[in-house]
Amino acid sequence: MSSETSIKEPAPSLPSWQLFALAGLVGATIVVFVSRGQSPAAIILLSLVVFAAAAVGAAALRTFVPFVRGHEGLSVSIVGGRARAAIDREKTLVLRSIKELEFDHAMGKVSDQDFAEMGLRLRTRAAGLMRQLDAGAAYSTQIEQELARRLAGAGIAAAPRTDRFCTQCGTPATASARFCGQCGQRLESA
Amino acid sequence: MASLGYYLLLAAFVVCAYAAAISVAGARRRSRALIESGIGAFYLLAAIMAVASAVIVYSFVIGDYSIRYVQRYSDSVQPMFYKLTSYWGGLDGSIMFWVSLLSVFGSAAIYVNRERHRELIPYVVTVISVVEMFFLFLMIVHNNPFQTYLTERPTDGTGLNPLLQNFYMAIHPPTMYLGFVGLTIPYAFGMAALITGYLDDSWLRAVRRWTMISWLFLSIGLGLGMIWAYEELGWGGYWMWDPVENAGLLPWFTATAFLHSVMVQERRGMLRVWNVCLVITTFFLTIFGTFMTRSGVVQSVHAFGDDPELARLFTMFMVTTVVVSFGFVIYRLPLLRARNELDSWLSREAAFLVNNWILLFSAFFVLFATMFPTLSEAVRGERLTVGPPFFNQWMLPIGLTLLLLTGIGPLLAWRKSTVENLRDSFLIPVTLGVVTAVAVAALGVRVWTSGICFALSAFVVGTIGQEFWRGARVRQRATGTDVFTALVGLVARNKRRYGGYVVHLGMVLIFFGFAGEGFKQKEEAQLKPGQQVKVGSFVVRHDALSITDDGQKQMITAHVTVLRDGKPFAEMYPAKWIFRKHEESPTTEVAINRGFAQDVYLVLATFDAATQTASIAVDINPLVNWVWMGFGLLALGIGIALLPDAVFSFATAPLPANAATTALIFLAVVLSQGVALAQDTIPAIFRSPLERQVAGEIMCNCGGCRLSVSDCGMMNCHGKSGQMGKIQQYIAEGKDHDAILATFVREHGGYDVLMQPPNRGFNRVAWLLPYVVAVIALLGVAFTARRWSRHETAAPDAAPIDRELDARLEDELRNLD
Repeated sequence: MSSETSIKEPAPSLPSWQLFALAGLVGATIVVFVSRGQSPAAIILLSLVVFAAAAVGAAALRTFVPFVRGHEGLSVSIVGGRARAAIDREKTLVLRSIKELEFDHAMGKVSDQDFAEMGLRLRTRAAGLMRQLDAGAAYSTQIEQELARRLAGAGIAAAPRTDRFCTQCGTPATASARFCGQCGQRLESA
Repeated sequence: MASLGYYLLLAAFVVCAYAAAISVAGARRRSRALIESGIGAFYLLAAIMAVASAVIVYSFVIGDYSIRYVQRYSDSVQPMFYKLTSYWGGLDGSIMFWVSLLSVFGSAAIYVNRERHRELIPYVVTVISVVEMFFLFLMIVHNNPFQTYLTERPTDGTGLNPLLQNFYMAIHPPTMYLGFVGLTIPYAFGMAALITGYLDDSWLRAVRRWTMISWLFLSIGLGLGMIWAYEELGWGGYWMWDPVENAGLLPWFTATAFLHSVMVQERRGMLRVWNVCLVITTFFLTIFGTFMTRSGVVQSVHAFGDDPELARLFTMFMVTTVVVSFGFVIYRLPLLRARNELDSWLSREAAFLVNNWILLFSAFFVLFATMFPTLSEAVRGERLTVGPPFFNQWMLPIGLTLLLLTGIGPLLAWRKSTVENLRDSFLIPVTLGVVTAVAVAALGVRVWTSGICFALSAFVVGTIGQEFWRGARVRQRATGTDVFTALVGLVARNKRRYGGYVVHLGMVLIFFGFAGEGFKQKEEAQLKPGQQVKVGSFVVRHDALSITDDGQKQMITAHVTVLRDGKPFAEMYPAKWIFRKHEESPTTEVAINRGFAQDVYLVLATFDAATQTASIAVDINPLVNWVWMGFGLLALGIGIALLPDAVFSFATAPLPANAATTALIFLAVVLSQGVALAQDTIPAIFRSPLERQVAGEIMCNCGGCRLSVSDCGMMNCHGKSGQMGKIQQYIAEGKDHDAILATFVREHGGYDVLMQPPNRGFNRVAWLLPYVVAVIALLGVAFTARRWSRHETAAPDAAPIDRELDARLEDELRNLD
């Protein structure tokens, strides 16, 4: 409906849904007029049929729109499975487990030795996740890999991959980089 | 309308197939467009099923009797409410209802998880769609609810079975189905994880919530079914191990096991293969339960009749499911390898293992006993009955062990409990249990199983109370607030654990109610107006008999006054309703006076309108209401566990310490009643102990109830009076117990007249196999545990943590609270 104003964003799906809701309302109104004389329950149910039919329309649109819509958000294939949010959630869960462990220890359900050992394991894991989040590794490695794959597909040799990391923050760096993209630390030349 | 409905079902099938195919294609080609389209198609399916449902309900409301299903399950005089619920009153409609619910439930699950578990979603869509395709296929080729009469159109319907015209029966199937249907979601996620190979714990997290919701619906569904049986069938009990009840119970056992063992995986990363298998088994059992009851393989009050074609289709589907699912498990076995280690038998993990063993054994036993008659018929050609006595005998110890574990588990520490913390944590609960046991013994309770149950209940309540109390104290120390705030905070911070404890408390109440069964009193008396009978401490007086008619049915009501200690206690009106369309099976309208200590439960068994004589069965059912309250508490506990993080209120509603005292008070109330002998004008119909025993072991042959002679609640039951007469005659002839049973078997021409199979020949398998399986399973558990405990504990990879990161970690931990 208001697609002129939102050319750049992927078209919001709200308008179509509203359209169908409207269609449902109109249809229900017609039904109420047409089926006068029937019991109220029957009229209500007929209206429900109409509304459900409108929902069918909306869902059908939802089914076929992904093919026609050329917006980049949909036409591009998915890269990788896990997003940054997943790591973030993972971290919260590990932190929660640490909390829980501390609580159990206070309740006398975990011996001191176990507490130290399990606590250490969880903390190491949490620290690892935090480091990963800091580095934005979830994104950058994925992008890099995908880029390499596509470039290879296009017959262009990818920039030589190195296993260089920033000495200060651990962010991966390309072979040619002179400064860290994250913290600005000067990188030793390869 | 009928053809519209049929086309809708066809369209649904096509959409389903499309959704399944396009999702697989999308996932394999990593194409977002295809995957999105698959999700859209899945929503579309839900919408189509909504239209179809609305269409069939509309047909019910306007009374379109050209549709067979409508004609068979409703009529014009039926109240509107039951017209609506007739939708799931029969087989065809209930399959359609099932598909509708699954599509809605599945859509919700996919909508919630579509971003969070993007990599799993396409396969989740596929798996659910395939399941739905099967049911849609069933409807299209075999059980079309929109089938019409080809020739002349009947003017009125036959009406819904009167037994189903009960409020609880109207809402029991939807809750039950929601539970069943909901268990498809964990299965779908589990399969998606297996297919994609993303077998870390993330699929479990997606699934836990849905499992809890389905488990809740399943439990409530079972509870509603029990209430219905109690109120409508009129035999004074609520659970008779009918195959359909069992079908609901089977997935309940495995789902419960899953909810427990999932914790071990989350906490220790163990049992990964086991959890996947549990999810698959649970799903399989929901399908198997449906199959068992819908195809006429077993005899049941609920069964919809013989249907070999349906049985064949279901068998094909089930075999495919099992082969494909477990095939994937084997295929992914390398990815599922877990770091299993068990440090001690005195650990929470070990308790969970034992818990799983018992729950799985229960499931197996119930399945086996339910299927045994069919098995026996196939092997020996001899039809048998496996009735409540057999189940009770077995499930009693199992249930008590489970109750004991409920109390022990939470007290054990993870990995290893030391002697000190055992002593420390067991002291109070065990004392409470022992004190109760002594009190029960001192009060002279002769039913030892109930006595043990009371003691164990006290033990578990002690455990849970202590958990809450100590947790609150620890938190109070940590946060420096008052105990109450600490308690709220405690529950709010670990909703799953404390919600779980509340669920345990609910289970304790349920068991407490079950224990009351041991003190049940049951009498029957033939009363003329003005006469009375004494049962326990109650006197039941028959005042008058009235006969009324409301167009749909004839109602015969007895007006009864109940006195207690000479004072009026209640006016009660047990009745019989004879529905016009179903005169051959009148319904029993039980009169129940509910109380905390007991229910007074009156059934109008037979009547003679000319002399105004009524034969009234009086049941005093102690503690029954605690079972229903237990279900309420169970729902509350799940509610707490499912509360969104933002909610921080009301979590303190259950006060375990209080519950303990009230429970004890009521215990005292019940026990102080004592058993007095009837010594009033009319004695209850006298039954010798032998007669009662035999009556409990012989099946009533009225053809519908599948209950023992002493429990059949049908009016003027020819089967019952005949069998009763025979029993009395044989006793008069001086035959002993075994001789009477033998005579019955001879006269009947088969062992199925007995409520449980005799212990000999092939039937010995029924008695022996559960033992064997239990022992083998226990050995299996012990063996695995031993293997796990031999593992060298790997030293923790003590990677050095830099200090800055450590400080940030501490910071975040503080903020988390």
